[in-house]
Amino acid sequence: MRYKKFTTALLVLLSALLLASCTGNLSGTSWPGISTTDDTIYVAYLNRIYAVRAQDGSVVWQYPDKAGRETYFAAPVVADGHLIAGDYQNNLFSLDPGSGALQWTFSEAKGKWIASPLVVDGKILAPNGDATLYALDLNGSLLWKFPTKRALWSQPVSDGQHVYQASMDHRIYAIDLNNGSEIWSVDLGGAVLYSPILSEDGVLYVSSLARNLVALNTTDGSVLWERNFESDLWTQPALANGNLFFGDTKGLVFAVSAADGSDVWSQAINEPVLGRPTEITEGIIFPTENGSLIAVNFKGERLWSRAFEGAIYTGPVKIGDTLAVGIAQGKEFLKLINASTGQDVWTFVAPK
Amino acid sequence: MWEAIIIKPFTNALLFIYNIVGGNFGVAIILFTILIRLITHPLMVKQIKGAQGMQELQKNPEWLQIQEKYKGDKEKLAQEQMRLYKELGINPFASCLPTLIQFPIIIGLYQAVIAALASTPVDLLNLLRNIYPGFLNVASLIPLNSKFLWMDLGMPERLNIPGISFGIPVLVVIVVITTYVQSKLIATPSANPKDQTAAMTNAMNLYMPIFMGYLAYTLASGLALYFIASNLIGILQYAMLGKVNWANVIPWMKKPEVSPSMKSAAKPAVKSTTSTASKSRSKPTARPPMKPASKSGSKSKK
Repeated sequence: MRYKKFTTALLVLLSALLLASCTGNLSGTSWPGISTTDDTIYVAYLNRIYAVRAQDGSVVWQYPDKAGRETYFAAPVVADGHLIAGDYQNNLFSLDPGSGALQWTFSEAKGKWIASPLVVDGKILAPNGDATLYALDLNGSLLWKFPTKRALWSQPVSDGQHVYQASMDHRIYAIDLNNGSEIWSVDLGGAVLYSPILSEDGVLYVSSLARNLVALNTTDGSVLWERNFESDLWTQPALANGNLFFGDTKGLVFAVSAADGSDVWSQAINEPVLGRPTEITEGIIFPTENGSLIAVNFKGERLWSRAFEGAIYTGPVKIGDTLAVGIAQGKEFLKLINASTGQDVWTFVAPK
Repeated sequence: MWEAIIIKPFTNALLFIYNIVGGNFGVAIILFTILIRLITHPLMVKQIKGAQGMQELQKNPEWLQIQEKYKGDKEKLAQEQMRLYKELGINPFASCLPTLIQFPIIIGLYQAVIAALASTPVDLLNLLRNIYPGFLNVASLIPLNSKFLWMDLGMPERLNIPGISFGIPVLVVIVVITTYVQSKLIATPSANPKDQTAAMTNAMNLYMPIFMGYLAYTLASGLALYFIASNLIGILQYAMLGKVNWANVIPWMKKPEVSPSMKSAAKPAVKSTTSTASKSRSKPTARPPMKPASKSGSKSKK
């Protein structure tokens, strides 16, 4: 009897401990969200947002001073005296970019802020995990909201008149910037995780979980061309020199013509590419999940490569002739490197 | 290893059920919980029988006699205990081994539910990598429809009622109640009110619902739904095996009587064992044979 009850109590305790330990991963894992101005890098990662001097990697400010339960992953956006950022606890807020002081908070959304907002013409366009695109003014007041059927994980793009929002509900929506009404929408056949690219001549390029890359006419949403691939495309393409550059989860990288989707070149780098490639003067940099940055010229010839400890899920962000690299699951999460050589400039050390 | 053996098959099975029930994740969680409980049912039966055998042993006069005789010699006591186990055909691990085998399954189910509810890009990436190639059509499946009744299964549940400024955590209340009721229903009565182990079990019966309620309050409601389904199916399984003590939760029902031998065991050790020992000394060969565990168990509840 005693033996049985002791065993039962022990098992209950063990199950409680195990269940508690299983919940450790529930806070939502992601990668550092980075944005830059001329002299400052803003990085949102885990439980803080940091403003870092681009010159030497020192901290200008950090928010919040005392870390709480909130987690921040969406890259903050700086515009018109505001640094707009969202957290995984449903709050979108504005900080003073110079001091990090809180200016306002918008708490009406019910889901995580996974994607960065976009600021256009004095309007903040903020997609939320609750499947709604919120439009706010710069004081944080709601102007309109646009519901979709599933979560929004990607930053919208805009041509100044319309907003183009991709959704996990497989569709991309064209929305009137002034009143939030739908202009058109197109089913892409799979969930869209990453933002589309908007070219200067009014073409949207977007990839989906249906393993396709689609070019859409922004006027009416008609499909200009579509390419299908063998592996998952977990990335936003980069548009440079009239070509689209992207990679897949099996470690192939591609350059296709933006005009008709035809092959320009492709090659195996044997590391999954899960983040947006970055254009530099000499070519394109592909970030890989194995923690590498692989730079190739526009013809696909290798320029340099760098390996970091951790995983890189998003393309490095340009700041002058350097690149800010966000690294997930590593000891360091922000590095500044030389864009031409890949050599370290500094490594950010978060204050304890 | 753990991922390949447990998480991957569980996640694929869960998503397969989701696919065939027309994209309702709430129904998929409930059906999957039932399926797992059915598969592990024989283990549960074995565990109950093993526990029953151990319980019966505590009433056995010979065991009480041995305890008294060798109370100062732990080594000899252990030897005699093992001999008695062998004689009576009791496997001391029969009660805990099946539970230990069930344990990774329960944890795996829990993790599969979390994995399938992927609410962040990295979670979704992991989910996609866990789906067997060609087994399911990812493009049409993702994202999962996490809406069930009034809930979003990927978020903590709150029922918003017009006129009330805050959301009511209905599932949390149900999780706490079902966890408490389940633990009370399957608890066996202790003959000794001062028994420390029984006190500890009672404390766990109290803390566990609170802990589960806290998890349900803070985590995705899909997990709360799994907790509730698991609790209710557990109660049903115990009821079908006749192992439920309804009197523990229904006050007007008669409590099961504690058998005389249990009562005597509850008395101070010297007195009780002396009286039992003297009986068995007068009839040394008259040790009652062990009854089948399930029969004696149900008898004591009537």
